[in-house]
Order: sequence, then C-alpha cells, then structure tokens
Amino acid sequence: MKKIAVLVEHRQGEIREITFEMLGKAHQLAGSDDEVQALFLGDTSQKELVAKVSPHAHTTLAVYDAALKDFEPLRYGSALEAVLSNADCDLLLMGQTAFGMDLAPALAAKMTMPFTSDVVDIEILDGGVKATRQMYSGKVSAAVSLKEAPKRLLTVRAGAFPAEDVPEVSGEVREIAWSVDGDFAVRKFLSYIEAAVGDVDITQADVLVSVGRGIKDADNIPVAQELADALGGVVSCSRPVADKKWLPKERQVGTSGKTVKPRVYIALGISGAFQHQAGMKGAATIIAVNKDPKAPIFSIAHFGIVDDLFKVLPALTEKVRELKG
Amino acid sequence: MDIIVCIKRVPETAEADIVLDAGKKGIDTDGMVFSINEWDNYAVEAAIQLKEAQGGKITVVSAGPEENNEVLRRALAMGADDAIRLTDPAFEGSDAIAMARILAAAIKDIPHDLILTGVQADDDGFGGTGVALAEMLGLPYAALVTDIQLDGDTLTVHRELEGGLEEVTAVKMPALLTIQTGINEPRYVSIMGIRKVAKKEIAEKSAGDLSLSGDDIGVKGSLSQIEGLFFPPVGEGAEIIEGTMDEKAETLVKILKERGGIA
Amino acid sequence: MDFELDLEQKEIVKAAREFAEGEFDPQLAFELEKTHTFPADIRRKACKLGFVGIHFPEEYGGQGYGIMENALIVEEFCRRDSGIGSAVVLSDFSSEVVMRFGSEAQKKAYLPKVASGAYISGGGYTEPDHGSDITFMNTTAVRDGDSYVINGSKTFITNGGIAQFLIVLCQTDENASPPYRGQSTFIVPTDVDGFEAVEIEDKMGLKMTSTAEIYFNNVRIPADALIGEAGKGFYQVLEFFDESRVEIAAQALGIAQGALDRTIAYIKDRSQFGKKIAAFQVNQHKIADMATRVELARLMVYKAAWNYDKGRIDPTLTSMAKMTAGQAAVYVADEAIQMHGGYGYIMENEVERFYRDAKITEIYEGTREIQKNTISSGIVGRYK
Repeated sequence: MKKIAVLVEHRQGEIREITFEMLGKAHQLAGSDDEVQALFLGDTSQKELVAKVSPHAHTTLAVYDAALKDFEPLRYGSALEAVLSNADCDLLLMGQTAFGMDLAPALAAKMTMPFTSDVVDIEILDGGVKATRQMYSGKVSAAVSLKEAPKRLLTVRAGAFPAEDVPEVSGEVREIAWSVDGDFAVRKFLSYIEAAVGDVDITQADVLVSVGRGIKDADNIPVAQELADALGGVVSCSRPVADKKWLPKERQVGTSGKTVKPRVYIALGISGAFQHQAGMKGAATIIAVNKDPKAPIFSIAHFGIVDDLFKVLPALTEKVRELKG
Repeated sequence: MDIIVCIKRVPETAEADIVLDAGKKGIDTDGMVFSINEWDNYAVEAAIQLKEAQGGKITVVSAGPEENNEVLRRALAMGADDAIRLTDPAFEGSDAIAMARILAAAIKDIPHDLILTGVQADDDGFGGTGVALAEMLGLPYAALVTDIQLDGDTLTVHRELEGGLEEVTAVKMPALLTIQTGINEPRYVSIMGIRKVAKKEIAEKSAGDLSLSGDDIGVKGSLSQIEGLFFPPVGEGAEIIEGTMDEKAETLVKILKERGGIA
Repeated sequence: MDFELDLEQKEIVKAAREFAEGEFDPQLAFELEKTHTFPADIRRKACKLGFVGIHFPEEYGGQGYGIMENALIVEEFCRRDSGIGSAVVLSDFSSEVVMRFGSEAQKKAYLPKVASGAYISGGGYTEPDHGSDITFMNTTAVRDGDSYVINGSKTFITNGGIAQFLIVLCQTDENASPPYRGQSTFIVPTDVDGFEAVEIEDKMGLKMTSTAEIYFNNVRIPADALIGEAGKGFYQVLEFFDESRVEIAAQALGIAQGALDRTIAYIKDRSQFGKKIAAFQVNQHKIADMATRVELARLMVYKAAWNYDKGRIDPTLTSMAKMTAGQAAVYVADEAIQMHGGYGYIMENEVERFYRDAKITEIYEGTREIQKNTISSGIVGRYK
C-alpha cells in the first residue's frame, strides 16, 4: 500500500485551486488499497477550510497553531516536518506556486527527499516515481526519475491537472501536535498588497489585444492600441512587456498577472509560456500572431497567423475600420 | 554590505530550433548563443544597486566549465568585485539540490550579508536551487522577490504571488533572496566596465578545494535523474490562416465578426 | 599569427551587440528614417557607456583602445541597424584629426566633449568643385592679427548641420607649390558668425545622419584654432583618411553582415511552392557567395585596423579594405533585396534601408575609383 500526500495551499481564507488539482491527480495515481492524504497547516480560525478538502482525502492531517496563520516557510517547514513524521507518506505533492517554490526546495534539502519541480505528469510504476517536466521554456519535455527513498517530493505545475471531479471519500481528520520551536522571527509575514486596479480592468473586457516580447518597444504599444480601439477592446500584455514597464503590471495576463476570459483574445508576438497560457486559456476564441511557427501559443490558439505582427496589425486595423465605416 | 550572487550560463533557446543530443539526455548546443540566465542578470543588477547605496563588496559565483567565465566577467564588468568559478568533472550530472550543495560549500567561507540568486534558470526552469541553498546555509530566505528595501539589518521585500497579489515580508540578514525578473532595469555592460576588469583573475575551486566527496555531488549525489528528453506532443493547434496579407486580414475580420470580436 | 579576437575584444563585441539589440529598435529606426532624424537619445546612451570615442586616450575622455576596437563597435552597430548605427558611429567623425595632431589645449577642449556626447564633430574637406581631389582648396583662411578669416564652401559634409565643431581644410598659402603644401586644418565651432549649414535633405540613404553644404562668409576664428603647423593640413588629412577608411570599411562590413543576417532568417521562414525557400539550391548558393564576401571583408578590415594600431600607415591596405568591404555591402544588400523579392523593395523592410545605406560606403571617404588609384600607386608606383 502506498500513500500519497498533498499539502493544502490556502491564502486569504480560501483553498487554492492547485490543491484540488493535486488531490485529483493523487486519486488517479492511487490504487484501490492506496491512501490519499491531505496535509493542512493553519490556525484554529481556519478549521472550516479543512472541511473543504477532507472529503477528498482518506486522511487529513492538520496542525493548528496561531504561528501558522499566514504562510511563512520557516514555520511551515518545521510544522510540516512534524506532520511528515506522522504521515508515513511515500510521495508528497506541493504546488509549483509562490507558496510551494518558497518551501519545497528547502524541505527537500533538509529532509534529504528526492525532489523535482514543476511537474506536468506523474507516474508510479513498481514503487518508482517518474515525473515529466518541461525545460527550455516548454520546448522540451524531460522524464525525471526519483531515487528510492522513504519519502519523495514533487511540486506540481498549476493547471497541469483538472481541479474538477475530485473523488469524494469519507475522510477522517487527525490533528497533529506542533509547537513553535526555533527562531522564526528572522522571517516575518507583514501584509498583502492587492493588485493595482489601474485605469482599465482587463478581466472585464470582451476583446483583448494582447502584446508580448514581439512588440519590441514601448513606442509600438500605440499600434496595438489602434487595433484595440477599432475593435472596441482593451490592450493587455504578457510578462516581458510588464517587466520592461512598457505597460503597467495590471495589464499583465498570466499566473502572476490577471486571469482573463474574454470572447476574443488576440495574442500578438506572445510566445505563450505556460504561465501566460494559464491566464488566458479560458478565452472563447484565441487568435495568435507570431513569426515563429513553433511558438507554443499556436498549440492553444484557435486561429493563427505566422507572420510579422507589424505587418498584420496595420492591415487588420485597416480592414476593421473599413468594416465599421 | 557584502553580497554574493549565484549566476548561471544558459543557451538562448527562445527562438532557436532545438535538437536533442545523441544520448537524448541533453540538447545539442552546437552553434547556440549562450548568455547569463535572465533572472540572474536581474539579481546582479539588484546587488549592484544595493552596493551603490550601502557600500560593500559583491562576489559572483558560477559553477561550470571555462566558458562560464563569460558570464562571470560580464557581471564583473557590470559592477561586481570578485568572481569564483566552481569547476570539476565530478560536478557533472548534479541535480538542483546537489548543485545547491556545491554552491553552499563554496559560499560558507565567504563573508556575506546577503545572497542573491535568480528565481529560476532559463534552461531547466527548476526554480529551487536558491531556496535549497538557503536551507543548507541555515539562512532565512524569500523566493520570488520583486522589491527590496533595506532597514538596518532587515530587508523588507515584496514577493510575487499569483494573480497580481504581492506579499510584504521582512527577512533578517544574513539572508538569501531569489530575484524575479522585472525587479529593476539591468544596466548594459559599458566599455569602462570591460576595461576595469580586463586584468581581473577569476578564482577556481574544485570539489577537492570545497571538501566535497563524490557521494554528495554529480549523478551519485543527486536523488533525481533525467532519464531522457523528448519533444512534447503537439496539440491540435491553431488553424493557420494563409494567403496574402490582405487575404489574411480579410479572413481574420470575418472570424472576429463571427466570434464577437468587433464591438 | 592569430585570427582570433582577444578576450577584451570579444567582450567589447558582446557589449556592443547587447546595447544595439536593446536600443536600436526596428520600428524606431523606421520612424527616424522617415523623418530624417538623428538618433540623439541613443547616441547619448552610447556615449555614456563608452562606445563613442573608445579609441580616444583616457586623458581625453576616451577608453584608450585602438581603432580595431572602434571598428568592432562600428561593425556591430551597423549590423544591427545601418541607419542608426551609421549615425551614432559617425558622430565623432574627424575628431581623430584633433586627437592625432591637435595641441594639448585643443585635445582637452574637444575630445572629452565628443566622447561624453556633448559635442558632435565633423570634417570639412570636400568642395563642390573638387570632390575626392583635395590637392587644392578654394576655401581660404587668411591670417589677420590674432585670427584667421575663412571664406568658401564645402559640400557633402557629414554632421555639417548638427555638429558643434568641424575640422576644416583650407588653403592658407595660395602660392605654395605644389598647392597642397599651402593647406592647413582648423577647428571651426559651428556657432561662429558667418557660418551657415544647409542640409541636403533628399539623398539616397544615411537619412538619420546630417549631410550638409556649409558656407564660410568671413568666418573669424582665433589663430589657436589652427591644428598643428600651417602648411601641414594636407598631410594630416591624408593620414586621417587612412584611419577613417578603416572606420568606413567597418561600417560597410556591418551593413553587409546585417543584410546577410536578415536574408538567412527570411529564407528559413518564407515558403514558396510548398517548401522553405532556403531549400532551393539557388538560394543556398547565393548565401554562400554573400557569406564569403562578408568574411573576406572582415579579414581585410580587421587586418587594416590591426596594422594601423601597430603604428603603420599603409594606404594600400586600408584602401583595399574599404573597397572590398564597400563592394561586399553593396553586393550583399543587393542580393538581400533580390531574395526578399517584393517585400525587400518596400521601406518597412530593413533590407531596403541597408541597401540604400550600403552604397555610400563606396563613395565617401574616397570613391571606389580613388581607392583603386591609391592601391595601384602603392603597388605599381606612380606612372603618368
């Protein structure tokens, strides 16, 4: 019998979707006599959150302590160690998220757990753990094996597995005792800063004209704006454009930006890293314009033009204006 | 304030055609352009800005063959003071955790108030070496940092969370931060910088120098292994619109009209 | 013998490439080209990073490298964009005359300001009636007490309309025999009374660079504006041409390489008759010819620069380098347009600009024909 554990991720009073994605995958990996565990760390006020995940795990192991109210990796790491010494799981899953990336590598180093990150698929064969992860900005996949060990650790890419239809099992909840032991004052959570609203809310737009690295310069944004104006849409962007401050951060689509679901999403010069895809794959129609026929954006777009966006943009803007008279 | 920055040299693959090597465990890098990992470049700039404000010394560290001197020299030309290259055939095949072990062995003897790494590397996209390194050195840390303010011996940093949300966290030095892109605008290398470091030596350290045994590093010291590389299956993909530019635009307008793209 | 750049040179190439790739934006270039605008911001940044005046001595605001390193920067800048690159690298044009022959005071007054970006320089040699022949100047400078008074005009003057000062070759002794022994060079600030520059707007290429006709109407400059000794101007300028030919050759080399880069990318991207046009042997052979000419130009430019930095004046070699590189630029840019087809003929395509910018490298700083005169007289000797 094997046991697969999932570290529950929660923030600001909500269970993060990645939790259910991992629970779903854990059930898929588990055989009939295997066990899916959920590990919960938080304070007593967050007990109600446990009720949302415990039905999806055979066992939920929870630590409640005031010190665990907000995510702080040193405390969470220490509490997790205590849980793991009780959990006897073979494989632990965490999200490759701002939460997991701040915790998993340290835990792997501390507990000498075989570890690989950002996996998009997992296989368990004869007790061996094999994961698929991507390299070279998604252009190559790697099959990675983890060596034999009592416990192994993977972080899972958000969106790699569906969060829906996670099996319900009658899960019991067990509390694990843990108390603050160690100098945790060296890292302290202070506050959250909500995303700036900005002048335009891209999540409300029906049509997004989104620009990526291919737009090449801040001076070229107006060319995209012209098309957006003609279409009655709004200009958004991918990470490199926001990094370079060509557009404000609140216009950024993707994991670290906004998630959008417009009727039409036009991706101009966006290669389509998974972080970007995560923010826009819900769009009803995706149109991609990119010079590189191998750009990952074309695998998710419904329609594509393989050409220079600076040729396509004026031609398209012109046609739209003609149509609208 | 003494700062150590860990940097990596990576092939530029964003616009390159990738070919797997014969063993299918790596890619054929013949003819590829290499450069400093983008995240690390932001980390170097962050270190230089801190040094400009606070004084102190910046040491850049990179593990790899002689070609890695390129990125070390580049960081020196930008404004770092010292460079160390960790090099040994025994390092080959190290996974991210073993690499953190190698870096830790080198860094523990260099005085430091702060260690910076990139959030992740462009080639393997692992995103864990920095945090593992902090654990091995027993340092507090923060990952995905997009802003740094210094107040005495405490760093108030912003961490990038999902959905545009940021977290404000205080970290007491000595500490390690993994730096996210966009935190600053990395400077260009100047001719003055190149001139200044022309005669600069880059120190080298082997596994022996770092008292690392073969069991801790390389394939043997790594608990994860790449079994093989392959190209991800191509999905259904987009319907590609062909024709002259005029025809393409015409077709697109039709699609936009049908799909509610024209308000 | 060693055909490899040294470590520092490689780093300089990389730095220049990163800067050019970061700053020379194709859309911006298109705008500057259409509006005939000098890329002032980019030049200021390039100065701040030490790219301009890299070959000036440190004590005059430079970086103390040779013209080899300058050539490497010129090549990289022009490779990324023929228009922006040329405008930026030519912004210190003729400052070398001050550097090689000027007084300490002149060097201190002008060179640091060129390197820092405060000043743009230019050279007034070509006259409407003489072209490449500078053995006699109609422009005169007459001594009057503590001053010289200049009268005359020059044409096709690079940076004429935007420079803060020009190096002007004048006849100071009209009775000298031969006449060129009566020539002298002067530093003429462009804000003096009686100086006028009229921009030549409609030219084939170099649209981001100022090219002007300049007029001197009783322009009075102090006697200490004379560079070196009176009567030595011709020799100074000839020696300067040996250096500037290398710079223009490097400009041509960069343009050739840039046109080649774009063509290779294009044929790998463009499909015709159901396959990439890179698959057609006719195109592969064209690329082979283009690449070979670029490499040939590079070998000659580097050798000429290297030789100059060894302290050897060799007009034969520098002329060969300039002629070869100029021909390579024109040939490669021509083939580039051909292979781009109709797309290459429109202004939005960069190769169109490269093509127009290439041609000047066979004309200024001595036409191809003048280069041949120089080469043959160096090899065969002077026969009349």
